[in-house]
Amino acid sequence: MPGPDNCMERLLPVTTMILAMLVSIQPIHIPGYAAVAPAFTLMAAYHWTIYRPDLLPALALFIVGTVQDLLSGALPGVTALTLLLTRTILLGQRRHFVNRPFPFIWAGFTILSVGAMFFLWALHSLLAAELLDFRSAVFRAVLTISLYPVASFLLARSRRTLLGAS
Amino acid sequence: MVIRLFPARRAAVHRVFFPLLVTLSATVIIIGKVDRVALEPLRISAMDAAAPLLQALSPPTAFFDNAFEVARGLVWVYRENDRLKQENERLLGWQQVALKLSIENAQLRDQLRVAPDPSISFVTARVIASSGGAYVRSVMVDAGRGNGVARGQAAITGEGLIGRVTEVGTRAARILLITDLNSRVPVLVEGSRRQAVLAGDNSERPSLYYLEAGSTIRVGDRIVTSGQGGIFPPGLPVGVVAALDGEVPLVEPYVGLSQLDYVRLVDYGLANGLPDPLPSARRADRRARSADGGRRSGAERETSRAVLSSYARP
Repeated sequence: MPGPDNCMERLLPVTTMILAMLVSIQPIHIPGYAAVAPAFTLMAAYHWTIYRPDLLPALALFIVGTVQDLLSGALPGVTALTLLLTRTILLGQRRHFVNRPFPFIWAGFTILSVGAMFFLWALHSLLAAELLDFRSAVFRAVLTISLYPVASFLLARSRRTLLGAS
Repeated sequence: MVIRLFPARRAAVHRVFFPLLVTLSATVIIIGKVDRVALEPLRISAMDAAAPLLQALSPPTAFFDNAFEVARGLVWVYRENDRLKQENERLLGWQQVALKLSIENAQLRDQLRVAPDPSISFVTARVIASSGGAYVRSVMVDAGRGNGVARGQAAITGEGLIGRVTEVGTRAARILLITDLNSRVPVLVEGSRRQAVLAGDNSERPSLYYLEAGSTIRVGDRIVTSGQGGIFPPGLPVGVVAALDGEVPLVEPYVGLSQLDYVRLVDYGLANGLPDPLPSARRADRRARSADGGRRSGAERETSRAVLSSYARP
């Protein structure tokens, strides 16, 4: 069992979620970046829901998601809903991922991000009452999936250092 | 090496709390969609609260950006140098033309006693956040009401128009870019004076709609604001026709909208150019109706129709 975590350590998942949110709204000067910006909050939410769901409650996902939408000018609620659905789907399947090798977890993330990007595309198309460009959803999913190992490495490092769990 | 299982008590809380949060998110989405203005105070407060933090994060982001630019610059340095030399030669020629024309223009204006353009004031602001994601194109800048920024002001850079100010807080403001799905800019094709509407679709190249029937348009035609609708002054450079997607011309904006750093928010003295947001207009309308017992004058109807049509999309 992991030892008793102190207050600062227990805040690690929420802190990384907030950092992920801040990174995703940073103006990055790469041509065409906006359309394919990876979903950093989705990566953090996936990681923590597998390893320490107790430290990343649904309320935190809701708040971070809503603030991200408010700051990025997107339709508020969309990111929150996506993160909450991610959490509930993942909690049901969590036993398949805990203590599994990384490729297995990455494969799970691949399925989840494809699902999340398709959900976002469908939701926005529905709200805009027209079929939006599907390509940017595909590129965004590809970029999000390919950056996950880096995010996962950083999150796992911070988790092992501060929380002591594997 | 055991990972803590989800405790039973938390699971029980989760069962009750979770559907509540999902419902709340869905409600927020619907409210935001039906009445965009209803959530505006919330968006503005979030923007104002986060502005100092986002400003503080700018230097590290700029550091990574610069590193990326340096790396890219090193790869392309020779080719870039050649290109710049050629461009410089061409521009020096243009500079002579411009100087000559500006003197000639001043003399002609003097002869014709043209009324001078209204005085223009502007605020320079730095982009501190952008919209990551495929479904919205806007940026947040670190100047607000306190700096003289107001709703409806045009946002430009040295190269041309980038968008307009849609939300203003005390120390931050949001600019809707011309590539956003909800952006509509009245423009004209320079030279021919044919009018059209530049409509964003979240892609890099907005499209031209409502071109006059029978008008031909060629790749390379310059697109400038027409000044129709009174939001932007006429003649601001917007972009150049880059391709024809079937019948619809696609416009490449002059400004690289993903490279925005500093922008100018310009007050052209066209105050009240931007109509009230639709729902508040509707509210005012409702108030007026309840005040005069449901009777509305034709003029009022015309106004609300004008407001509606300014939000209509092709």
